[in-house]
Amino acid sequence: MTILEMAAALRAKRISSLELTNETLAAIARENPRLNAFITVTADLARARASAMDAELSHGIDRGPLHGIPFAHKDLVYTKGIRTTGGSKIYENFVPDHDADIAINLEKAGGVLVGKTGLHEFAYGITSNNPHFGAVRNPWDIDRIPGGSSGGSGAAVAAGILPFATGTDTGGSIRIPASFCGVTGLKPTFGLISKRGVMPLGWTMDHMGPITKTVRDAAVSFHAMSGITGGYVPPKNVDIHGLRIGLPVNYYFDKLDLEVAESVRTAVQTAAALGARIVDIKVPDIDALNVVGRVLLLAEATSVHRDNLLNRRADIGADVVTLLDQGRLIRGSDYVDAQRLRRIYIREFSKLWASVDCIFTPTTPTPAPKIGQMTMKVGGVDEDVRLATTRLMRAINVLGIPALSIPSGFTKSGLPIGLQILGAPRAEDMILRIGAAIEDATGAISRKP
Amino acid sequence: MTDFKKTAAALDPPIPEPDVEKLLPVMDALEAAFRPLQATLTPEDDVWTGVE
Repeated sequence: MTILEMAAALRAKRISSLELTNETLAAIARENPRLNAFITVTADLARARASAMDAELSHGIDRGPLHGIPFAHKDLVYTKGIRTTGGSKIYENFVPDHDADIAINLEKAGGVLVGKTGLHEFAYGITSNNPHFGAVRNPWDIDRIPGGSSGGSGAAVAAGILPFATGTDTGGSIRIPASFCGVTGLKPTFGLISKRGVMPLGWTMDHMGPITKTVRDAAVSFHAMSGITGGYVPPKNVDIHGLRIGLPVNYYFDKLDLEVAESVRTAVQTAAALGARIVDIKVPDIDALNVVGRVLLLAEATSVHRDNLLNRRADIGADVVTLLDQGRLIRGSDYVDAQRLRRIYIREFSKLWASVDCIFTPTTPTPAPKIGQMTMKVGGVDEDVRLATTRLMRAINVLGIPALSIPSGFTKSGLPIGLQILGAPRAEDMILRIGAAIEDATGAISRKP
Repeated sequence: MTDFKKTAAALDPPIPEPDVEKLLPVMDALEAAFRPLQATLTPEDDVWTGVE
């Protein structure tokens, strides 16, 4: 069930929050040995919380659509009294003494926390192949990665364990798992959701957001995470007639798996059939934005984890050590210049919003790679898996604009393909509206692993 | 271009030598891509301070 279906069932008294929570805990017990999507399960706390939410509803207290709904936090989000590992051996027994703002907001919204999901160590990678807690596996093919860094959240939602889990996105870490796992991921505008109490990776690149099964669930989860009440949720038969969808004629379709390209172009045709106007656009230099993004993140992540690198090097996975070492080699003046270039590119990119309401691109250039795969062929060329997978993502974190990834279809071998919908700053409602229309029309979310 | 091997050795503490070699191709490529962009900056170009 989706969040909205659960919410309706709770209010119609067809099910209780405690029953939903018990079903979720049973699903975790059944699926987690196969998927390794959870690092910590908070069964007793969840049952107590669900009972309290049931009691409130029976007394007429209704906190909104998330009231009584089971969900999970990425294990990067501080949860008071519940360990928060960051996917790291260094923090394997760290128990925060306070909640992150998003944990506070989701508690206020009535959510029932059932556990903490697995991730790439420190959220610094795209595989979620974690050397300390094991590889998180993709429900569509357990020999493949779920993407990362929010891989456990993506896998748990895709497997139908729960309808919603939180994610963070510094260079694609919400959208990549959404793409590889065939679910919905929303990276909102930079700063719209508080980062306080979430273990940082890159202060000027980190974004918080939801991973859900459906776009409408992403809308209600996004509002709850932000502390917004009464936000926009796309209605049934949402109308996108006349909206202008930008289709890049450069960069985004240059080096792609053929099935990904075909699926995204089919989604474009679907939007046109629904009455949207397709506008060819030329995007500014995305390679340059990616370079700027890499300089920024290397420096910021090493600043965050400098003490860990210098004092606990042996306790950090080899791939993350390599990235943190690279960050030590970035000069201070180069970091500042990258932030200056960022401002120029943002202004250049923002000119596009005069001619389009959103932009369609693939989310990832390929479907999910195999666990342990280091390189892959994209458009006939061998590429590093991490660089290829973040190629269509990282620039969006530099720009700070909202981005939604939804499933657009599947490969012949049954792996999900993601469509990325970009919007102007604070245009979350617009991309949710268009995403819901595409979701309704393609029916891609009805397929299950 | 920066001699990253020398820079890595000069850090306090230095990056362990066996780990330096694998950083070099990545850092050289990143610098080669970044320097031309950096060269376009003028004194009027301020830093980014948040979503506009």
